[in-house]
Amino acid sequence: MAICTLSFPAHFSQAAASNPQRLPPQCSHLFWGVDLQCQSQQRIKARKRPNGVCASLSDREEYHSQRPPTPLLDTINYPIHMKNLSVKELKQLADELRSDVVFNVSKTGGHLGSSLGVVELTVALHYVFNAPQDRILWDVGHQSYPHKILTGRRDQMHTMRQTDGLAGFTKRSESEYDCFGTGHSSTTISAGLGMAVGRDLKGKNNNVIAVIGDGAMTAGQAYEAMNNAGYLDSDMIVILNDNKQVSLPTATLDGPIPPVGALSSALSRLQSNRPLRELREVAKGVTKQIGGPMHELAAKVDEYARGMISGSGSTLFEELGLYYIGPVDGHNIDDLVAILKEVKSTKTTGPVLIHVVTEKGRGYPYAEKAADKYHGVTKFDPATGKQFKSSAPTQSYTTYFAEALIAEAEVDKDIVAIHAAMGGGTGLNLFHRRFPTRCFDVGIAEQHAVTFAAGLACEGIKPFCAIYSSFMQRAYDQVVHDVDLQKLPVKFAMDRAGLVGADGPTHCGAFDVTFMACLPNMVVMAPADEAELFHMVATAAAIDDRPSCFRYPRGNGVGVELPPGNKGIPIEVGRGRILIEGERVALLGYGTAVQSCLVASSLLEQHGLRITVADARFCKPLDHALIRSLAKSHEVLITVEEGSIGGFGSHVAQFLALNGLLDGTTKWSPMVLPDRYIDHGAPADQLAMAGLTPSHIAATVFNILGQTREALEIMS
Amino acid sequence: MRCYGLISGIGSEARFSFPANHSLPTTPILPDSCSRLSFRPFAPITVSPVRARYASLKTKATINDGFLTEPEAAAMSFYELLGIPESGTLLEIKQAYKSLARKYHPDVSPPGRVKEYTRRFIWVQEAYETLSDPQRRALYDRDLAMGLHLAFSARKTYHRDEGMVAQKEWRNRWEGQLSELKRRSMNKDAAAAAGANMSWGARMRMQRNQAASADL
Repeated sequence: MAICTLSFPAHFSQAAASNPQRLPPQCSHLFWGVDLQCQSQQRIKARKRPNGVCASLSDREEYHSQRPPTPLLDTINYPIHMKNLSVKELKQLADELRSDVVFNVSKTGGHLGSSLGVVELTVALHYVFNAPQDRILWDVGHQSYPHKILTGRRDQMHTMRQTDGLAGFTKRSESEYDCFGTGHSSTTISAGLGMAVGRDLKGKNNNVIAVIGDGAMTAGQAYEAMNNAGYLDSDMIVILNDNKQVSLPTATLDGPIPPVGALSSALSRLQSNRPLRELREVAKGVTKQIGGPMHELAAKVDEYARGMISGSGSTLFEELGLYYIGPVDGHNIDDLVAILKEVKSTKTTGPVLIHVVTEKGRGYPYAEKAADKYHGVTKFDPATGKQFKSSAPTQSYTTYFAEALIAEAEVDKDIVAIHAAMGGGTGLNLFHRRFPTRCFDVGIAEQHAVTFAAGLACEGIKPFCAIYSSFMQRAYDQVVHDVDLQKLPVKFAMDRAGLVGADGPTHCGAFDVTFMACLPNMVVMAPADEAELFHMVATAAAIDDRPSCFRYPRGNGVGVELPPGNKGIPIEVGRGRILIEGERVALLGYGTAVQSCLVASSLLEQHGLRITVADARFCKPLDHALIRSLAKSHEVLITVEEGSIGGFGSHVAQFLALNGLLDGTTKWSPMVLPDRYIDHGAPADQLAMAGLTPSHIAATVFNILGQTREALEIMS
Repeated sequence: MRCYGLISGIGSEARFSFPANHSLPTTPILPDSCSRLSFRPFAPITVSPVRARYASLKTKATINDGFLTEPEAAAMSFYELLGIPESGTLLEIKQAYKSLARKYHPDVSPPGRVKEYTRRFIWVQEAYETLSDPQRRALYDRDLAMGLHLAFSARKTYHRDEGMVAQKEWRNRWEGQLSELKRRSMNKDAAAAAGANMSWGARMRMQRNQAASADL
C-alpha cells in the first residue's frame, strides 16, 4: 500500500507537467484508484497481489467499475514519449492502454474486441518504429483505437464515431500518424507496397508496416498485393494478425463458425506445427559448413532445409515471395519487440510476413467469454459488461429482410443466400439457423460471391446476394459482366444504402442506385417501409429472367403492418403508387426518402399547402404512366432520394426530357446527396448535413414556388 | 482413489434422501474411476430438486464451513458437475448448463450464499464451455481417460504449462527464422554486389546505397 501512495504523487506531478488542462479529472481518478487498490487488497486474501500499480483484472474475472489510474499512459502523448521505457514498463503501459480502451468504448460504443487484441502489438510497433516517418497501416482500421490513443488523440477519444469527432477507422485528414484511410478490408498490403515503392523511388529509408487480419487475408486483393510485393522485392513488413476469426464473430447466432476456407486451416496447421528441431540443427550445421564464399549453394541448401522443416502453410507465403516469420505470441511484448527490432535492423529483407497470434477481446473477461467477442458494442457498463441496448418499437430492416427471405425459402427450395463474411450484418445468421445448407459465407470476397451467384443461377438456383451497398462497389465488374450482361437472375439485397451514421463515408451506400440503374438488364427497386421490403423480396424471388436488386437503409422500420406469415406479395414490376393526393407540387420519393417526404407534406399542410406524395418503388423500369400523370397535373415535380447524382432523379429527368414533358410549364427539381462525402456522425446530423431532412424538403418546395419567406420559416 | 470416502459416509443420510426425490440419469461411474481423484457425494446436487439440494448443502456444511473449496470442485469432472453422463449429447449439456446457470446465477442466488453460488456458477460455466466445444471436449475426454482430471485452476496452469511448452517451441522457431533472415539478407547483398539477377527492389537499394555513399 505504501508503494501506491508513494508512486502516485510522482506521477501526479508528471501528469501535471505534461498536460495541465487535464489535471482536475485526473486528481479525482488517482484518489479513486488508491481506494480501489486498498479495497481490492483487503478483499482478496488468498491471491497474490499483482506487482506494481496494475490495471489488469482478467484473472479475477471481474472488472473495474471506475477508471483505474494510468500513470504511465498519462505521460505518453505521442510515440516519441515511449522511447525511453523499459520492456517491463511497456507491459504496464499495455495494461493501462487496455483499460483505457475499455473505458473509452464503454462511454461511446464502437469496436472493442479487435482493439483489445492488438494492444501489445500497437505498443511494440510504436516502441520499435518511429511513426509518422515509419508508415504503419491498419487494415480495416477498427482495431486502431489503441493506435489513436498513443498518437495524440487520447483526449478526443470520448468523441469517437460522433459528429465532428474521431473517425472509427484510420483517416488521413485526422492525423499524420494515420497514413492511409481504411474501412473496407484487405487494402493495406497494396497501399503499403505503394508506400514502400514510393520511398524507394525517392531514395528514402523509412520502414513500412502493414497490419492485416486473417479475415482480411481471405480477400483476393491481399494475394494480388503479396504477389506483387514478392516480385518487386521492396523492403516492407506485413504483420498477419491471426485471431482465428475469419468471419466476423456474428456469423451465426450461436457464435463464430469455424473459419471459412482453406487458408484458415493452413494457418492453424502453422500454429500447431511442432518443429523438427533436430532436423533444423542438422540443416543449420550443413549450411554453416557450406556457407562462406559459396553464397548460392548455401542459399539453395537453406531453402531446401526450410522447406523440409517448416510447416506446409508458410510455403504459401514463401511461394508468393514473402519471408515468413512466426507464429509469434501477439500478447508477449518481449517477443514482439525482439522480433521487430531484429527485422528493423536487418538491412536488406525484401517483404517479410510476421505471423502474430492474438486473441480477440483479450484482457476484458466479458469480451473473452462472449461469443461475438464484443466485436461491435454500444455503450456498456465496464464492471458488468452489460450493454445498454435501447429498445425500439420496430426491428431493423436487416431483420425484416432475413425474415422475408426465410418465408420465401420455406416455399421455394431453390432459394439460397450468399454473403461475404457478414452473417450478422446482413441478418443472414437468422437464415443460416433455419437453412444451414442453403446459406453460403464466402469470406471477405464480394467479387467471388457475385460470380458464384451467377454460376448458381445458371443451374436454376435462385441466389440472393446480401452485400452492403458500399461493399458492392468491389464487385461491380462481376455484376456487369458476369450477371447483367448474361441476364442471369441473381438477386442483390443491398443493405446500408444511403447514409449510415457512425461508420462514416467508408461505409456509406451513396452510389448504388447510380451504378445499378445504368445497367441495361437490371431491375432496380427500393422499399419505402418494411412491408414494402417484404413485397420486394417476394418480387425479386419471382423475377426469373433477369437480375434484380433492391436497397434498404440502416435503421429500424417505421411501424407499418407486416404481411401475414412474413410472406410478401410480388409487386407488378414498374408500378409505383400515390400515397397522398394533392395539387401544384408532387414529391416523388424513392426508397425510405418517401418517409421524409410524408413528414415534409405534413409540415407543408400546416402552412396550408396540400401536395402530392408518391412512392416510385422502381427506378428501373420507371413507372412511366405515374410520372407522366404527375408531370401533367402538377406545376413542379421534385424527385427525392438518398443517393448520389446520376440515380433515380437522373433517370426521371431523362424520361421527362425525352418525352417532351419538360417542354411546357412543368418544372423538375432533384434532391440528392450532395457532391461531397458526409462525415460520420449521428444519422440525424448526417441527414441535416446532406440537406435531405423533411424541413429541407418542405423548404425546397416553398423555394421553388417562390414563397421564400415560408421556406426560411421552416428552416429556422 | 476415493480419498474422501469417509466424508461421503458422513453425508450418507443426506444422500439417502436423494434417490426418492430425483430421477437422475446415471451418475457417471467409469471403469477407471478408481484411478481418478474423484469423489462424488455432491454430484447429485446439480440436477436434484430443491429439497435434496438443501440436504446436500447441509452435508457440505458439516464438512467445510458451508462452501465448496476449489480442490473439491476440482476433483469433480465437468460431467459430474453438470450432472450428465459422459456420453451426453450437446443438447443434454446445454440443458444441464441452462438449469444450473439459472440456479446459481448471482442475481437469483439466496443472499448470504452469493459468493459461493457465483463461484459455482463460474465452474459450471467453464464446464459448459469446455464440453460444448467439440474440440475442447475431445481434448478433455482424452485427458480424463488418461486419468488426468485436473482442478479448474490447476487446469489453467496445465494449459499454461502446455502453453509454455508451445511458447518455447514457437520462440525457438522464430529465433531460427530470424537468423535465417539475416543470412538471407547477407546473401542478397552479396548477390546484388555480384550483379546477379536483380529484382526491382534490389536495384533501388543499390541506387540508394550508391547515392548515400556518394554523399559521404
